[in-house]
This record gives sequence, C-alpha cells and structure tokens, in this order.
Amino acid sequence: MRLPARPGERLNRDREVTFTYDGNAVRAFEGDTIGSALYASGQRIFSRSFKYHRPRGLLCCSGSCPNCMMTVDGVPNVRVCAEPVRENAVVRPQNVWGSLERDALVVTDKLGGPFTPVGFYYRTMIRPRWAWPLYEKFLRSVAGLGKLDKHGTRANRYDVEHRRARVLVIGGGRAGREAAQQHAVAGMQVVLVDEGFVDPLEGVEVVAPGRALGIWEGGLVPVDAGRVLYRFRAEKIVVATGTIEQPLVFPGNDLVGVMLPDGVRRLIEDWGIKPAEKAVVVTVDEAGREAAASLREAGVEIAGVYDLRRERVREIVARGRGGVLRSVEVDGRKLSCDLLVMSGGRQPAYSLLSQAGARVEYDPGRGVFIPTDIPEGIEAVGSVAGEGLAGAVPAASYNGASGKGKCFVCVCEDVTDKDLKRAIAEGFDSIELAKRYTTVTMGPCQGRLCHVPSIRLYARENEKDEATIGTTTARPPWAPVTLGLLAGRPHEPAQRTAIHHRHKELGAKMMWTGTWRRPHSYGDPEGEAQSVHASVGVIDVSTLGKMIVRGPDSAQFLERLYPNRFGDMKPMRIRYGVLNSDAGRIMDDGTIARLDDETFYVTTTSTGAGAVLEWFEWWNAVWGMDVEIVNVTGGLAAVNVAGPRAREVMRKLTDIDLSNEGLAYLDAREAQIAGVPSLILRIGFVGELGYELHFPSPYGEHVWNEILDAGEEFGIRPFGLEPQRILRLEKMHILVGQDTDSESNVLEANMPWIAKLDKDDFVGKWSLEQVQERGLQDLLVGFEMEDGKVPLEGAQVVLEGTRPIGRITSSRWSPELRKAIGMAWVPAAIAEEGKSFLVTVDGGFERATVRLRPFFDPDGEKLRS
Amino acid sequence: MSGLAFLSPGRASAEAVWCSPLARALEGAPPDVGDLSQTGKIEIRGDLPKSVKGGELNRITPNRGLVLCDFGKTVELLEKLSQDYFAVDVTATLAGLSVRGEQLMRRITDLDLDALPAAGAVSHIQALVTRDGDSFALWFGQEYSDYLAEVVIDAWEGLRE
Repeated sequence: MRLPARPGERLNRDREVTFTYDGNAVRAFEGDTIGSALYASGQRIFSRSFKYHRPRGLLCCSGSCPNCMMTVDGVPNVRVCAEPVRENAVVRPQNVWGSLERDALVVTDKLGGPFTPVGFYYRTMIRPRWAWPLYEKFLRSVAGLGKLDKHGTRANRYDVEHRRARVLVIGGGRAGREAAQQHAVAGMQVVLVDEGFVDPLEGVEVVAPGRALGIWEGGLVPVDAGRVLYRFRAEKIVVATGTIEQPLVFPGNDLVGVMLPDGVRRLIEDWGIKPAEKAVVVTVDEAGREAAASLREAGVEIAGVYDLRRERVREIVARGRGGVLRSVEVDGRKLSCDLLVMSGGRQPAYSLLSQAGARVEYDPGRGVFIPTDIPEGIEAVGSVAGEGLAGAVPAASYNGASGKGKCFVCVCEDVTDKDLKRAIAEGFDSIELAKRYTTVTMGPCQGRLCHVPSIRLYARENEKDEATIGTTTARPPWAPVTLGLLAGRPHEPAQRTAIHHRHKELGAKMMWTGTWRRPHSYGDPEGEAQSVHASVGVIDVSTLGKMIVRGPDSAQFLERLYPNRFGDMKPMRIRYGVLNSDAGRIMDDGTIARLDDETFYVTTTSTGAGAVLEWFEWWNAVWGMDVEIVNVTGGLAAVNVAGPRAREVMRKLTDIDLSNEGLAYLDAREAQIAGVPSLILRIGFVGELGYELHFPSPYGEHVWNEILDAGEEFGIRPFGLEPQRILRLEKMHILVGQDTDSESNVLEANMPWIAKLDKDDFVGKWSLEQVQERGLQDLLVGFEMEDGKVPLEGAQVVLEGTRPIGRITSSRWSPELRKAIGMAWVPAAIAEEGKSFLVTVDGGFERATVRLRPFFDPDGEKLRS
Repeated sequence: MSGLAFLSPGRASAEAVWCSPLARALEGAPPDVGDLSQTGKIEIRGDLPKSVKGGELNRITPNRGLVLCDFGKTVELLEKLSQDYFAVDVTATLAGLSVRGEQLMRRITDLDLDALPAAGAVSHIQALVTRDGDSFALWFGQEYSDYLAEVVIDAWEGLRE
C-alpha cells in the first residue's frame, strides 16, 4: 500500500513504469526499485533460501543481504531491492521447484535436516562409489543460486573506464558528504561514490549508485556502476562506508516479515510504502526506536517495543505460517504482528580499509570491531571509524536448540547456531576454519550480516572474548559483481600481418600461431605443397621475429649468444643459428644475415620473437657491449617465393642479378622489388629454390599482388602454414617447440655441427660440454612408415615388447614422396640409418624406419640450383 | 655501412602502392577516429636533443625518443639524425590512430591523460600516446591495427548507447 506523497521520497509519481514479474505486469513509479514496486504490489516472498528453501522476504532493502535475489532480464542473482525499475524488464523468481509460494524443495527444510548437517557434503554420498554420478546429477540440479543460460549470448554491454581522482570519497552519508565538500572547497578534484542514491553536491562529481569493490596498491579502486566498471586511481581515498545493521539471532529470525530498521525506513521514506499493519520492535540501539517512530507515522500499529538496553529478555521466538511471520513471543508473551523490526546494533563497514592494510581491533566498550592503523593516503571518517557508536550493547544469541525453530546466524548459506556449535564440537574452533567448514560469511552478503554474529557465537561457545576470536580476512570484491563487468568487452589482441586481408580474400582458412593470425591453407594443403615442388608458391612469413643488431661489438655479441660463429661471416652472407639457454637447451632458431661489418639482421621464430628480444636485451645489459638492438618485426612484411620457377618470377620484379653467381644460396641483397626497398635472403626452409623478401609492411599487399601477377604464367599459388609444415618435414628442418622441448639440446637434436665447442665461450657452452661428456642419450631422427599410415604427433615410440622409448614430434603424409614421414626422439642405440622401431597407430603398432638425412633433396641440390 | 634502406617506406618508388594498416579497419569509422599511419617516424637513441628541427620529438626514455615528421621528409631527416644519433626509420613499424574525446580515451587506457605524452598499455597493447587539446594520437605496433581500431570504434559506440 502506497502512502501519500511525502517530501524526500525517491519517486516521481507522475511517471509510471511497467515491468513483468513471473509473467504478470507490475506497475511502478520512476524512482522505485524492482523490490519496492513488488512490495508495494503486495509481494512478500522474494526468494527461497540456499539450502533449506525457506521463504525469504525483504530484510535490508540496501542490496546487502541475499533475500531478494531474482533473475532480471536473464541475469540471475540480481538484488531487486536495489535494482531500479525499467520499462519492460522481465523479472522471475529463481532457485525454486514450482513457485516462490509453493517450492517443492522446501522438503529439505522439513525432512532433510538430519541428513544435511553442517559439512555434510564432506562426508556423505561417498558410498557406494558407483552411485556418485547419480548424487552429483541430483546435487547439481538443486544446488547454487540462479541458472545461467548455457547457450545465452551476452545479456548486457559492460564497459571499463579508467578514471583519476585527486580525492575519492567512498560513501555518501553525512560524513562522506562533509568530507567531499571540505576537499572540494579546498580546490581539489573530488569524486564521491555511493551504493545508493545521493543528492548532487556542488563541486563534487557523484557516481551513484556505484559500489567500490576493493582498494588496491597505487590507490586503485574499481567501482561497479552497473554497466560500467570505473577503475579509479586516487591520490587520496576517504572511506566513509558507515556501518552495517546487524540482525539478532533467535528462532524464526529469517521469517518473511522480519526486517532491519533501515529496510523499514527505506520502504517508508524512499518509496512511500506502508510496510505492514502491525509491528513489533526488538532493538539494542536507537535505530529500532527510530524505526518504531517512522512506523507509527506511517500508520502502522506498534504491538510492542523491546529495548534490550533497558530490559532483560530471556527468549525471543518468531512464529509464522508458510514461512511468513504471524506473531512474536517475547519471554512467553505472544504478540500478533506481520512485521518484526530487529536491530542487533551497527558494525563499522571496515572491509575496504582492512583490504587496504588497516588493522581491525575489537572495542569491548562499544561491542564492535574498529579499524586502526589506517594506511597512508587513506582516511576513515564517520561511523566506519567508530564515531557515534558509543553505548551499543552487544546482542545476545538466543538459543535455537530450544526446539522452537531454526536460529539463523547466516541467511545466505542457511547456517544456524546449531551448525556452528557442531563445528566447534568437531574441532573447528577458529573462526577462519569455521568459515571454510560451515561456509558462514562465504555467501552473497560476504559476511555483512553474519560476520559479527558468528564471531559472537564463537566467543560465547569457546568461552573467549571477541578480540581473541578475531575476524576473518577481508578480501575483494567487497560487493558482488557480475562476471560480465569484470570480463569487459570481448576483444582479442590478435596480431595480423600486413597481408592478412588479402589472405582472407583468397579464401584462406585462418589459424592461431601464438597471438598471430595466419593462413592454415587456402583450402588444398597438399595441392599447395605440390605446387611449390612443381612450379612456384608464395607464403606470407611476416610473423617471423626480426631484429637489427648493430654496433662495433655486434659480431662479438652474437658469437657469445649463439653456439656457432659469426665473426668470420662476410657481409651479405646468411647463417642458420640456434639459440641456447644457459642450460644449453634449445630456445629458438632462425637466420642471421650480416649486412655490413657492424650490422646483422636476425630472424627468429614467429612465437619466439618477444622472448628472444628480451634475451638479447638482457645479455646486452649484462655484458655492456657497444650494440644496439632494434625490433623491426612489425615494421617489415616478409614473403617467401619458393619453387623451381621462383627465379623466373623474381626476375620480373627486380633488376638485380639473380643468377647463382649474382645471388647464391645463403646470400643476402638489398634491392628494389616491385619498386619497394627490400632485403632479399636466399634461403629455403621449404626445400626448393627460394627467396625470402623483407620490406616495409605498408607495401605488403602491393608486393604480394605483384608476385601473384608475375607468377601467374607459372601457375603460382599461395600456400599456408600446413603445406609449409609438409615441405619442411620433407627437408627434415626442425620446428623449435614442436620437435624440441625444454630439455632438448643441439647435440641430441642431431645438429652437432652447429655447436663450436672450441669457441672461447657462448651461452650454454658448459652445459653442452657436459652432454658431450656423458654421451648422447636420445636423438632426434627422421623416420618413414613402412605401411604408409601417419601416426599422431605425440604418439609413442616403442621397442619390441611394447616398452615406450620415445615419442613422435612431427608426422605428415608427403604427397611428393608418397610416404608417411616424421621426426621422433629415440634412444641413441637405434638412431642409425635403416634401424627400425614400432609406433603406436590406431591402437596397434606399426613399423617405422630411421632416416638421418632429409627425405627430399638430401644433398640440397635444389636449394642451391 | 648498410643504410637499412629496406626499413624505409619513404624510399619506395611512386608506383608502389602504400596501404595503411588501418585502411580496412577504419572503413566507415566515426569522425572521432582517424588514421595517422602515414606519418614519418624515426627512433633515435643517445643523448637526446631538446628538439628536432623538422620533426616533433617525443621522449620515451631519457635516451630514447620518437621523432614524428612529414612522411615525405622522413628519409632526409633520418640521414641528418644518423650523423649524431643511432637512428632507425620506424615509419612502417608503428601505426597511428587519432582519437577525439577524453572519455573515449578513458575507456581504453589507464594512462594519466594529463601527463602526456607517455608510453603504456592501451587496451592490453603497448602504445605511445600524445595529446593536443581534446585530440589524442596513439602510436603502436602496426600488427595490432585491426584489433585496436575494433576496440576504439566499439568503445565509441558504447558511449553512444
């Protein structure tokens, strides 16, 4: 029932908003929350409890407790008491089998108690073991709050905004507003954040409703403003979070119609609602008395006010029917009522301060926990710091074991006083252990309403004081936050080459390699590979890491980093290099071209570029050499034109001498290609005559198009990563990370020629010497399958008798060789040409023969042609 | 000594077709977002000068700076700077995106917008950000062009919802 309009209410009664609740239209006013509108329409049951499915109604009306959680527009667990109404919103109850009024799972409350004591999930449903899938299915169907649509799309758009504030005030109550105004008057930029509704303040930016989720280092305070997560960086933080009303613990304290004083006040003052017809008030502070006055003013009959500061009450029992309050018995005196206002005092909302590093101490005089030793840059003002809290009397717990009903300490998790006493009896006598064992304080309210009552109960049962029991650790987020808000927008920071869009236009199937998007193939991997052998193909290799190493010490620098030599290289020559870790393990590989006496051009693997750059810079800093290192990975596009007719294609694009005398295998040249300044590297990862062209990335599409045009008469085809992998395997060229792992070294990876152990020193030299001294154990070899079946990469290599002795690292069908080929790590004893081993294929074993030389063009005649 | 000509797009002949890394990503983009990629960019290292004639010097570290200049004059300026500094043409390495509006910038970066230019994370990638009034310029690895353009346009749309 709505009261007549009153000053200060939040409603705009001239503007109606309509939404649906469980299929029925509900009319509200602008300024209502969904919860207030439902209450005004007569709804009293708002949810069913987590474990016992007991009816629950509005309790705090401030978004703290779990009692009003519903599904709104598909989003579960929305606290409707704090969710503003919006036109056409679809609101549904959750966590029920049936309806809120008739929930079949209430049977757990009536009959399940003996079977579901605290911690039952740790020790029941264990046997028989075969029945666990049945238990699990049932438990999953009834557990949890709300249901997510597994096939749903994003219900809302959530954004992140980074903000800065000279002063950030958290809490818009009296103290917070005063602090904000003082700082604003002093000329500071001030932002005030509050969970509820706050009137504007001159000179202050108000973010409301907005919930501060935590305080991190550097003054970082994320604020949940509904659809936007503000990440504030504040020079000064003023915490004015006030206090949280605490419930009393007595039988029936969770019945629908039992409310906290502030909840009652909000219904009356903010939303103009008469909360009930007849009320009883039980209080330990002035809040209860003030609520009684408001109720009287709203026309509610007051059946009784019990101020526990003045009178000794031995027993309080709330009784109801169907979970809804009907009467209260105070020391045996029965009072009919439909509202019970309970006030167990106020506890400073210190969690944010505690997260920031403040200590929390119990003040026995006031019966509350007070934050102390506030960190620098943070200030606590108002009641959160203990101001105005004198005189409160700690609320007693009233025995729920009296047989007069459950006595809830934690309404989120349905934890009763009996549960906590049982936990103590089982040895969980610390509050931190109790939290984990009983889940008290671990529910949606995160301890707002149950932390202090559980500490008090623990103190009493353990015959200790609250200071000795202490508090649990406060952790962010202080308020529940939707995962969507934390996730933000669905963008993936992918790297794309300058030719990416051309690949897509040519029908490439794209794949991830690290964070790069690359063409897997253009639809015909084997055909693309064959085109390279038969005529000519072109592949985008822009993802290769690329670095300039320049300076008087550059040759010496590379000599120290790589196991092979660079000091003796002539300008415009290229050498293959394998980078080792300190432990002599293979890190990465690539080519190194010497451009002049002091300049080298280094390429790395696509996914290793970042690590190699860091590695280079690290050693350059350690050695203090006169070398500059520049990462030019993104700046240069790169393509590889390969195949027996590659030279003919290249001749149409450049004027330089491309003959074997003019540009031999492993030569480099700077030249114009299709009018673009380029570096040409004559190398051949795919085993055929090849030219790798590196040039400024903005000309990626231009050069790519010119190559395709020039090669059209030769039947040129673009090829992707998969054909490249077939071709490189035919040449037995390794892929670092695929054919090697964190234990592989160059000696056992069948590249002993690269390790110049007679050099003075290089990174990993000592480790390689140890490998040499102990002898080679497992070697990387090539193999071909006798029956033509392609084993899986990762398949086991086995010896007669099925003992695993190695593994397959690469395997493919070679359309050129008409063979299944691959590479594998095998014991040194069988790493000899022509020896054989068994491989697991399709659940059986197939025989493979060891090959130590490349399958294709073993003498490299085609590469050098 | 190699002039590292292959790093300089400004040395391409007139027939070569420049394609900005942001060209496709910014098709139909809102007016608050623009392409600055065809700007000359030179990284210099050493004892940085107070200013560079013919370019705008942005200090990244005490001895590392990014000089922005007219694209057509990049090669000339590079050769001049190379006489005194270790200088590299990074015109092709960095894409340039212009963004108008402080709130839009706040949606994509944690950098202090009152303390620019500065280098740092913009939507998870590294960028140098400069400011001129309400207009900002983001200089970042060109390989992230599609990604960053998508993020910025999406953020722009988010502010209008």
